[in-house]
Amino acid sequence: MANPVGTLLHHSEPIDPDLWEWLSAKIDHVLGVSSGVMVIVLGAVIVLFPIAVVVLVWRKWRTIS
Amino acid sequence: MSNNRSELDGSSKKSGIYYGWYIIAALFFATFLAIGSRQGFGVFVKTWEQDWGISTATVSIAASVGWLVNGVSQPIVGRLTDIYGGRRVVVISLTVMALATIGVAYVTNIYGLIALSGFVISFAAGGISPATTGVIVARWFEKKRGMAMAVLIAGGSVGGLIVVPFLSYLLVEFSWQTAHWLVGGLALALGVPLLLIVVRSTPEDMGLKIDDGESSASTETEVVVRPVGPKFAEEWRDSLNSKPIWQLSIAYFVCGITTASIAVHFVRWAISEDITTGTAALAFGVLSGINAGGVLVVGLLSDRWQRKNLLGAVYLVRGLGFVLLIVLPGSTAIWAFAVVGGMSWLATVPLTASLTADVYGVRNLGTLFGFANMAHQLGGAAAVMLFGWAFTVWGSYDITFAIGALALLGAGIVSLSIREKQDSVRYSPVPEGAAVALHESITDEE
Repeated sequence: MANPVGTLLHHSEPIDPDLWEWLSAKIDHVLGVSSGVMVIVLGAVIVLFPIAVVVLVWRKWRTIS
Repeated sequence: MSNNRSELDGSSKKSGIYYGWYIIAALFFATFLAIGSRQGFGVFVKTWEQDWGISTATVSIAASVGWLVNGVSQPIVGRLTDIYGGRRVVVISLTVMALATIGVAYVTNIYGLIALSGFVISFAAGGISPATTGVIVARWFEKKRGMAMAVLIAGGSVGGLIVVPFLSYLLVEFSWQTAHWLVGGLALALGVPLLLIVVRSTPEDMGLKIDDGESSASTETEVVVRPVGPKFAEEWRDSLNSKPIWQLSIAYFVCGITTASIAVHFVRWAISEDITTGTAALAFGVLSGINAGGVLVVGLLSDRWQRKNLLGAVYLVRGLGFVLLIVLPGSTAIWAFAVVGGMSWLATVPLTASLTADVYGVRNLGTLFGFANMAHQLGGAAAVMLFGWAFTVWGSYDITFAIGALALLGAGIVSLSIREKQDSVRYSPVPEGAAVALHESITDEE
């Protein structure tokens, strides 16, 4: 076994670097949008999810009260 | 908020969605951030190698230390959850994880990375794992426990799909420091307040009832006295003297062996079979997609059928996937495994967590499921090493896949041998008098 420690790096917890290199190239090829746009789109998803949950919880409290 | 809590009492089931599902949504987001950030480590490996002039093996130390620390942390954070409640543990864990992620932005060498990513982040991530979040879910859900667990577990998959690309594009657009700053900052600014606002350790904390009062403990009297199972124990050590926790942990150990070894060696196996990295990546993507659906289907079914039968079936189906890898030609095997293996990939998690809760109750669930999780992680770490060693020695994965298939057959049999009808509170609630006695002793302690 050439590098037992290095092998661990390819675990699914830290995403496999080889897999990700291929996947990111594929995503870029398919979507054809810039990195900046992807940052905004994915960032918006991450930001909006918790806000939506809090709004729904607030509406539930409001409905009940 | 406290006023609202009291207003939610009792009448909540008439006012739409059960509050437990909002808890799931908040924990889903925390899991999504925690798993996604940990998976994102792989995105930065090559950049760190270039910036710090170190080898992949050196960067790997942080990943491998993190793996072991995360495994060992599980029973510890589980115990803390049992003592202090899930809400405190997940809030503190996400806060620590967020601050440490921001701290990584200031790291200038591998030692800092090992300290923060290998130790601090990995330990804190244990606090946002099923050993803690599963306990909260088990306290909010009884009838739909399997489905609720499954939805939560699916959050990890979604986290990988969203957070990993986000980190990658931040790296391309800005820098790895900015990526860590932003993700840590988002966790601190959005994730922590979300948990604080929404999550409560138990329904009783909000004056609510488990399952919105629809479970077997639905009447006013029964709410105070929850049904208990034959194996419910005051002390978690007592539970370790019974068979089911060992049956579940041994099977979960095999789960760790087989998932980690495939996750690590899938691409290498594909290359050894003259399959391109791209096809392997696509097949692994298909596997990941199917597993998100598979976990939800299994979660739904587990609330209707005996969980141990499903758990046994899941291990046997995965074993079939390993057999297919050996007997079919590589180009066919890769897709067959993606479908068959995908159906069983994550499904063991909600089943094992729910079954542990059903057999032992929620009182010591964090500690007990933490033990099972530790077995899973350690099994995974050992298997990754052994599979790599075996491939180097034999030049083929066939023998290791055969060992994996046999281990899964064993895990399936062990799971099926669990006496769920005798041991689970779902099928064998202890007579009411005993339940009252136990409840009173618990209440006195609290």
